[in-house]
Amino acid sequence: MSPIPVILDCDPGVDDAIAFLLAKQLPQLNVLAITSVAGNVGLEHTNYNALGLLEFLDWDVPVYRGAAGPVFRKRVEAAEVHGSNGMAGFDLPHTRSEVEGVNAWDAIHQFAVEQQGALEIIAIGPLTNLALAFLKYPDLPQLINRIVIMGGSTDAGNATPAAEFNIYADPEAADIVFCSGVPVHMCGLDMTMKALMTPAELNQVAALGSKQAVFFRDVVQDIVSFMRRLGVIGINMHDPAAVLYAADDTMFKAYPAGIRVETKGAITQGKTVTDLFSDAKWHKNSFVAMDIDREAFVKKVLELMSKY
Amino acid sequence: MTSKIPIILDGDPGHDDAIAWMLAKASDKLEILACTSVSGNQSIEKTSINARRVMTLLGIDAPFAMGREEPLHGEPIHAGNIHGETGLDGPALPQPEIEAEPLSAVELMAKTISASSNPVTIVATGPLTNVGALLILHPELKPKIAHISIMGGGLAFGNWTPAAEFNILVDPEAADVVFKSGVPLTMAGLDVTLKALVFPEDFERIRALGNPIAVVVAEWLDFFYNFHRSIGYAGAPVHDAVAVAALIKPEILTVKDYYVQVEISGDFCRGATVADHYGFSHQPPNTHALVDIDREGFIDLVAEAAAWYGKESE
Repeated sequence: MSPIPVILDCDPGVDDAIAFLLAKQLPQLNVLAITSVAGNVGLEHTNYNALGLLEFLDWDVPVYRGAAGPVFRKRVEAAEVHGSNGMAGFDLPHTRSEVEGVNAWDAIHQFAVEQQGALEIIAIGPLTNLALAFLKYPDLPQLINRIVIMGGSTDAGNATPAAEFNIYADPEAADIVFCSGVPVHMCGLDMTMKALMTPAELNQVAALGSKQAVFFRDVVQDIVSFMRRLGVIGINMHDPAAVLYAADDTMFKAYPAGIRVETKGAITQGKTVTDLFSDAKWHKNSFVAMDIDREAFVKKVLELMSKY
Repeated sequence: MTSKIPIILDGDPGHDDAIAWMLAKASDKLEILACTSVSGNQSIEKTSINARRVMTLLGIDAPFAMGREEPLHGEPIHAGNIHGETGLDGPALPQPEIEAEPLSAVELMAKTISASSNPVTIVATGPLTNVGALLILHPELKPKIAHISIMGGGLAFGNWTPAAEFNILVDPEAADVVFKSGVPLTMAGLDVTLKALVFPEDFERIRALGNPIAVVVAEWLDFFYNFHRSIGYAGAPVHDAVAVAALIKPEILTVKDYYVQVEISGDFCRGATVADHYGFSHQPPNTHALVDIDREGFIDLVAEAAAWYGKESE
């Protein structure tokens, strides 16, 4: 089977960095482009970090600069988790530049046309770029096979009691994506909170010895400390889990669901309202990943990282 | 001997309300001071007749008063598809021998609580219209309300809409008042009530008890089971009975304390009960949320209560 042509839409971001490390080694994925978006930190950092990660990995993929903020709202960010530069203070090598003169949303459309319907999007930041692409190009829904997102939660949030960060950061954009007609596979907190790697497992990765493997462990250490203060021992691999899902969903459990995003509630803005079995019987526009085989996940991470 | 917990039963019977009231009457731990009806499962006219019939059937000798048709704000919603045309379809019930008091449900609640020497517990198994109005109109009575045990909400999901459970959706503003009131609150939400399932072997066990009330209880459960099977449930969730079980057999329930808020606006989330799992709101918990139940223990409770009516008539 030929690899899936994908665009990785991201806001690096520490766990985005891990997602890059894995995506490069996944034979099921052919990453055609990276699109950057403001999210965990501002676009000036996420775009810079995307370029720096590619340089660090010696990975030749074009980067397209995306949206600097949400479609309709003011920007929120998560610098307290990812560090003020989004990369926990690591300064990556910086010799590359993004593709000049082409926006992320235009690039998404161009690649979609070229791939004749086979393109998939892995979106692990706020969904602003995709929403703008759908707003600008009415033919786009027919040209994208599938969208896998890291974002949302059927239950508790991590930005507010009801909302997960990536959706909370641009709820209208997320709702545009869920309503696009393209099947959305939601890798939200229901699953990613179970995609935990322990400090011992992070050391196992580092012991593989490559600079990439050591970086894997070291770049997440501030988040490990942050999580320990919340009572969690280890780090939730939110974005990497979504990338692995896109490559091979056999270690996951996902169910068809109707999903819309609340954009107006007083305390629920950014909630991914998920209909699995209510009497309202919403149209099932999505799949929601609810579980992951954690042991298989960690084994797969070690296998992929051993390729460096 | 410890004294009984004085309670007011506020509901919209309803099959599961009726079973909740059946549990309450049979318990030697509870003393029913009053019953009130609320609009919900069916119109206030229908739930009120049902309440009076159920009181008559069970021999609940307490004053009764009717609530209002409308929620505190907005239009009423009913669940005739679930409980049938009468709101309590199934076995024939006695003509009501209890008359409604010439005052509103809210005023009967206030009068009852004022007159009680001990703080009163309210068991609310319908929309929170009456309880919300009581807290708004009689804030001075708050110290005399020991506890409110509600069936309503869901921490993880809804049933009527993806985000909202029926009782909260019908009157979110009233629910918001109740959750913000500071009165100790136990929430039997969908997280637990969808685990309080009854299966045919359970209601056949109750039917076999043979006393007239046990037979009616079995018929209600039979009706409720068949409806829920027809929409894909494994068994019949006896939602409202859990709010009473929490008072008389708390050992079968698992409780987690959360700060819970009610969403009153939004495109999709009106009526959602939002729990603060990670302490974002920096508020102390306001809700004892029931999250799990020993189903076998629950069935035993219902069966033992139904059996009590046989002993009573001997």
